[in-house]
Amino acid sequence: MKVSFQALSRHLDLAGVTAERVAEVLPMLGLEVESVTTFGLAPLPLVVVGEIKSFEKHPKADRLSVCQVDAGEGSLRQIVCGAKNFKAGDRVPVALPGTMMPGGFEIKVSKLRDVDSAGMMCSSEELGLGKGEDGLLILTPRQPAVGTPLNSLFGAPDTVLEISVTPNRGDCLGLRGVARDLAAALGLALKPLTVKTAAGRAAAPSAADAVQFVRSSSEFCPYYTLRTLKNVKVGPSPEWLRRDLEAAGLRPINNVVDITNWVLLELGQPLHAFDAKKVSEGIEARPAREGEEIVLLDGKKVKLEPGVCVIADARRPLVVAGVMGGVDSGVTDSTTDVLLEAAWFRPGEIRRVARRIGVSTDSSHRFARDVDPAGVELASRLATDLLIELAGAQVVGPAVVVGQPPRADVTIELPAGYVAAKLGTPVADADVNAAFARLGFTVKPSAAGFSVLVPSFRSDVTRPIDLVEEFIRIHGTDKVPAGRPIAPLPGDEDALTSVFTREVSARLVGAGFTECCHYSLRDAAELERTLGADKAALVAMDNPLTAEQTHLRASLVPGLAGALALNLSVHADPRGLFEVGTVFRPQADGTVREFLSVAFAIVADPVTRSWKSREAFDALRAKRLLQDAAALAGVASVRLSFAAATGGLWQADHASALVDRGRAAEGACGVLDLRWTRSLGLKSSVIAGEVCFPRSAFAEARKTPRFEAFSSFPPVTKDVAVIVPVGVAAAEVESRVRQGASKAAGKEFALESVHCFDVFAGPGLPEGHRSLAFEIRWRHAARTLTDEETNQALGVVIATLEKGAGWTVRR
Amino acid sequence: MQQQLAQLVAAATQEASAVATRAELEAFKARVVGPNGSLTQVMKGMATLSKEERPVVGKLINEAKRSVEELLAALLVKVENSEIAAALGASVDPTLPSPDAPAGSLHPLSRTRERILASFRKLGFVVADGPEVETEWHCFDALNTPADHPARDMQDTLYMPKAFRSADAPRKADEAILLRTHTSSVQVRTMLSRKPPFRIVAPGRCFRRDAVDATHSANFHQVEGLWIDRDVTLADLRGVLDFFVKETFGADAEIRLRPSVFPFTEPSFEMDLRSPNLGRLSDRWLEIMGCGLVDPKVLELCGLDPKEWSGLAFGLGLERIAMLVHGIDDIRHFYNNDTRFLRQFA
Repeated sequence: MKVSFQALSRHLDLAGVTAERVAEVLPMLGLEVESVTTFGLAPLPLVVVGEIKSFEKHPKADRLSVCQVDAGEGSLRQIVCGAKNFKAGDRVPVALPGTMMPGGFEIKVSKLRDVDSAGMMCSSEELGLGKGEDGLLILTPRQPAVGTPLNSLFGAPDTVLEISVTPNRGDCLGLRGVARDLAAALGLALKPLTVKTAAGRAAAPSAADAVQFVRSSSEFCPYYTLRTLKNVKVGPSPEWLRRDLEAAGLRPINNVVDITNWVLLELGQPLHAFDAKKVSEGIEARPAREGEEIVLLDGKKVKLEPGVCVIADARRPLVVAGVMGGVDSGVTDSTTDVLLEAAWFRPGEIRRVARRIGVSTDSSHRFARDVDPAGVELASRLATDLLIELAGAQVVGPAVVVGQPPRADVTIELPAGYVAAKLGTPVADADVNAAFARLGFTVKPSAAGFSVLVPSFRSDVTRPIDLVEEFIRIHGTDKVPAGRPIAPLPGDEDALTSVFTREVSARLVGAGFTECCHYSLRDAAELERTLGADKAALVAMDNPLTAEQTHLRASLVPGLAGALALNLSVHADPRGLFEVGTVFRPQADGTVREFLSVAFAIVADPVTRSWKSREAFDALRAKRLLQDAAALAGVASVRLSFAAATGGLWQADHASALVDRGRAAEGACGVLDLRWTRSLGLKSSVIAGEVCFPRSAFAEARKTPRFEAFSSFPPVTKDVAVIVPVGVAAAEVESRVRQGASKAAGKEFALESVHCFDVFAGPGLPEGHRSLAFEIRWRHAARTLTDEETNQALGVVIATLEKGAGWTVRR
Repeated sequence: MQQQLAQLVAAATQEASAVATRAELEAFKARVVGPNGSLTQVMKGMATLSKEERPVVGKLINEAKRSVEELLAALLVKVENSEIAAALGASVDPTLPSPDAPAGSLHPLSRTRERILASFRKLGFVVADGPEVETEWHCFDALNTPADHPARDMQDTLYMPKAFRSADAPRKADEAILLRTHTSSVQVRTMLSRKPPFRIVAPGRCFRRDAVDATHSANFHQVEGLWIDRDVTLADLRGVLDFFVKETFGADAEIRLRPSVFPFTEPSFEMDLRSPNLGRLSDRWLEIMGCGLVDPKVLELCGLDPKEWSGLAFGLGLERIAMLVHGIDDIRHFYNNDTRFLRQFA
């Protein structure tokens, strides 16, 4: 809302208070100041009235004129000018050299296309007077004397503060409300508001009224008033009224409309004026009927939703209540009798309707924020005063009033000492009560402490805690000291998701990966690739904003692949990239579960050449990183199994899917689908990995590891190589070795480890077979194992292996 | 005899110059001092000498033996040196660059987040989290947001379809499922699941239905704070925020609490920051976060008795803080993932 400093001064004595001070104080009251601008003509001592004596076309520029101007200096000035809207003899503002213009540039004696120019003739906009007609500001009709300082033709400049009013402060959508807060903060008295038109109400129209009935049958209009004014002379508003409207950013229209707008600015209560002769029979606030339409003032034709509150006459809807009037019932130059509406509409409904029909007006904005029911009648009387004074209107009796004000003043019981307790610093009850009094609240002692009567213009203040806020606004938040030192609470730990995020990020950073951050919202094609079309539909949003961001991400890998491509395209070596974040995956039961995911990606061929080559990053290093990440999440490697990954993001035969036996983790690693990554512009293949964990994986506190004793005797190591058909997975063979070796050890000694140390296929082996060699290590807790024992154990392993179909142990 | 010994030593010295490997050294050693070595043969000849000759010859032999031993020691050093040189290979120019990739780096948002969490941890706040897809109840209702509040509007908030079911945020009734618009929903989950007193900070990703530009992003990050205890006051709020700001922006940063309005706090404030160390944003008040005392209505909705418990809450935008701390002028940099940006903050 635009607040004119001069208009504000009508409500409180701001002598000695600068606009700058007001702009400092208002934000600390909760009224944010978005801009401070000068309205009117700023002090410009070197801008004077000049007369254009003669002018001719510029010899070198068609669009410029060379003018001889009398600025009251005894001799003529030559000024080059680009405007076209003047004639010889016109009087215009002339900025003499040395003038600092409102736009921040200085006028200097100069040459324009080789012709001397000693000053500038100004347009309305150049003087900071707003956008006027094109070209120079022609002063001729005002008949000012040549050489007169321009400032003497205009009033003193005003300062306009654009404030943003929070939704709870509907009272500050009128100057009176802003003034009240400001007066309270500055310790100034609010000037009384004088209204001449008497209070009073009639239950129904009299014979002298211009309508036969006034009714409300809409639940959204519990309180409606209408007043008849006759013999109204519609015409332009006086200068002061026009100025106030323009300072607030409104365009003057005619005195009747301007008066309703001026009262709206003053008190925050919207009013509506009808041309009484265009109203058939009477006025009713009623629900719109099926099929009704209205053409609004802005020319927009609106189909009315049944039930929406309209102000109608006997025949048709005239106004969308509280939002905007129709084209055919408003006040025009030929209007003589006016019906003045002042009412209260339900805020939520006004907000809903305004949004639905897509208009926001000064009226709907205020009704939506709950105007003061007690101000309805006052606004009507104030407007009536002005209609009498400025438009010669004659009042016909009191206003016809339908319904009751929907809410009244509220009494809050405030326990003694409550405010100080919430602030955490001592304040005297007397100081608290004084602050309330300045806000217009009435305080009386009560049994528990105080009874605070809050007037209906502050519908946001209903509870003791609300009064704390009122006090601190007036008292000043800077007077509250910083509080007690705090000791941590024992046993409180960070959520394990946070600990994991930190640790796994450190691990990957240490491995040379750079962390990325991608949008969670992705396009349909990406999700179809990741999940398949059926499952992708399960993570689609209801109301996406753009076609690129329609789905929730199910994997971090596509983002990383995109980042690799982007970096290569700008000739930056991406090296390894990683990301940690939430992904959304459809589950077998039809729900979608959130997983905390860790993913990384790297191009297989080095991007930057080096004087010394290094082994390239491959799928097996990806596997190790994945296992390490899982271990940090508390998922031990033994719980994880890997199988060939199929489809989606991953290249067949070159990637593996990870499954956690505890069903906590899932993931994959290996080469990304080559056709896909090539389509992204990546020439080299991309190695990636992703492992993700449901929230439940982090639900339990980590166990503190317990020490386990170990043997001080040497182990015995035996190797076994087994030839198996190519289709048999290494994990299956290893599992079989482990099974045999464990069985062989029995309870007497222990199997310590089994690991694959050689894989061979080629000459000497049967076609379609390969050889896998394992090292087995046994150890006894209390003695050295004998050759006999271990040879026997190896025999058990061999026997176990040779049960496999087509499996042969090499001897 | 003397001449014979001198010849022997001279021959050995000459032969030694050809020794290069350990095997040659061993062979040479055997030829001179081995059981059948030249020197050993001479020494064996001692037995045939007379009693008078022996001390003289013995002395000569000892001298020759010492010469040979010195020769062998020098040869051993020579051989070892060449062995070490062979094991090490060619010498390395220490000024050549390492061919290995350097360590990676954390994203500036992660760095900022960790820095913020670390300062709140000093005050006993621990990290809490919650789902990104939330029920409307947790995101709005429980936070005292009116049913027709604009924040709930389809224009501003991203919703999931009616058929969508979240495993992490099951509906309480038939309320909508949405992408959380703030991390304040974690406040609600914490109050419902923990017994006070507690102090938590909840970093996390949030979503608004905003078109992407220099200052808007479809998703962004917040850090939410909540302290529930007996008698939490405005002075506590000021103390916590003052500490945080000085930790993050330096000891000469100041704060002010500007009254504002949020559905979930009363009184509510915008916290402004002023610091001399923010480049072109130095020495002016900048809006940093919303904060206030937890509204009694929220405590009630989350199952806490407002007569017994009170609290303070605050929420700040991670992007905003990171942009201020590092002088970043466009929020899109955080999500573009150009490594020329990402690696500036290592």
